[in-house]
Amino acid sequence: MPAVSPRIHEAPDDLLAAIDYCYEQGWTDGLPVVPPEVGRVRAMLASESRAADTVIARHPATELELSLHAAAVNAVMAGCLPEHFPVLVAAFEAMDRPDFNFHGSTASTGGSAPLLVVSGPYADEIAMNADVNLFGPGNRANATIGRAVRLILRNVFQMIPGISDKSTQGNPGKYSFCIAERARGNPWPLLCAAQGYPAGVTSVTVFAGGGFCNVENHGGNTPEQVLGSVADAMANYGCITLGQSVVILAPEHMAIVAGAGWTREQAQNFLFTHARRSVEGMKGVGKYRDREYDTQHGDAASSLVEADFVHRGLSPDDILITMGGGDAGGHSCFIPSWSRGRGSIMQHGPINLGRK
Amino acid sequence: MQLYAPTSTAAKRKAFRAPPLANLEGMRLGILENGKLNAEEMLNEVGALFVQRHGCTIRTLASKRNASAPAPAATLVKVAQEVDFLITGLGD
Repeated sequence: MPAVSPRIHEAPDDLLAAIDYCYEQGWTDGLPVVPPEVGRVRAMLASESRAADTVIARHPATELELSLHAAAVNAVMAGCLPEHFPVLVAAFEAMDRPDFNFHGSTASTGGSAPLLVVSGPYADEIAMNADVNLFGPGNRANATIGRAVRLILRNVFQMIPGISDKSTQGNPGKYSFCIAERARGNPWPLLCAAQGYPAGVTSVTVFAGGGFCNVENHGGNTPEQVLGSVADAMANYGCITLGQSVVILAPEHMAIVAGAGWTREQAQNFLFTHARRSVEGMKGVGKYRDREYDTQHGDAASSLVEADFVHRGLSPDDILITMGGGDAGGHSCFIPSWSRGRGSIMQHGPINLGRK
Repeated sequence: MQLYAPTSTAAKRKAFRAPPLANLEGMRLGILENGKLNAEEMLNEVGALFVQRHGCTIRTLASKRNASAPAPAATLVKVAQEVDFLITGLGD
């Protein structure tokens, strides 16, 4: 559809009054926004050489479109700096792929939020946090890029809480859910390398995350002990589905796992093997479905699938594992997929810096 | 202070409702099930009531691969050519 010109609002010159004006228009996530003054929006677009009306994502049901311009407006409102903008653009280009299904994952009662994991050198260039208080507040890039995602979903794609966003409870990541992968001290290849990008290219992975589960283990001293507690979190009856998983190992836990010589692939295999529940147990809580069991145990089943058990995911590749967080503490985390499984499949894409 | 609106600049899609059916007698009925638990069973029960009460014929049972994604356009185009009306709904 041909685009119409971006609408300009005449708001009060007083900054506080302009913030109130944004509230009155229904443009916020509940917190104050930076009024999207035209000069700031133009500055945000300076990192892009493509035309401002270039469409980078489309809503599959309503056909609403996200242009670079609209993305920039929301990025300003979220508090982003222009150097944050390429991450936001890459994230939506990845989410635009049909298998991510961002309509379903943002409209559903499941209440998921798009988690962004930035991997590669650009994360450091824009001072993203991959370290202490990884998922917490305090870092502008993490906080505002994640917030801009939410504002775009709300303002551009009209995923309005209670109307088109029917989350039963939602989750705190719906305000902002964006981290960097920790490169410092990481013994495994970074995700961007594992994903096949050339050296120097930074990637963003997007995942419809259904929440956040802390995995505490300060006593385990072997990979089996540490990953055993992660697998148990992944297989709890409230979370276990055929869906994908994100696991962020704390540096203390990573030191135990990789220190014993385990690779990422070994850890994925261990988690897939052990994150499981018996069919009998699944029936006991009313979550067993023949169709799902057959999907997991069919002709294309992973060799690690065990009969009479339901595993989390379809294969070890469904488990993204990397390292993040501060040096101290045996606190890793597991982030479950949205709702019942495979309605949204995680995607990744390169952050294109060549357009400057 | 001039502010840009943060909303989509896509032109609004023209949407319209199909004209209502004058009656249901002998109409061709399509069923679109979303793949959730019990969806097919529930919709078949509803379809059976249309057959029983209005002499409808069930022409199509289409399934969505992904319950939360819009039905593929090809599915909707095909169904639209084969039926007079369609029922759908969430199973769970």
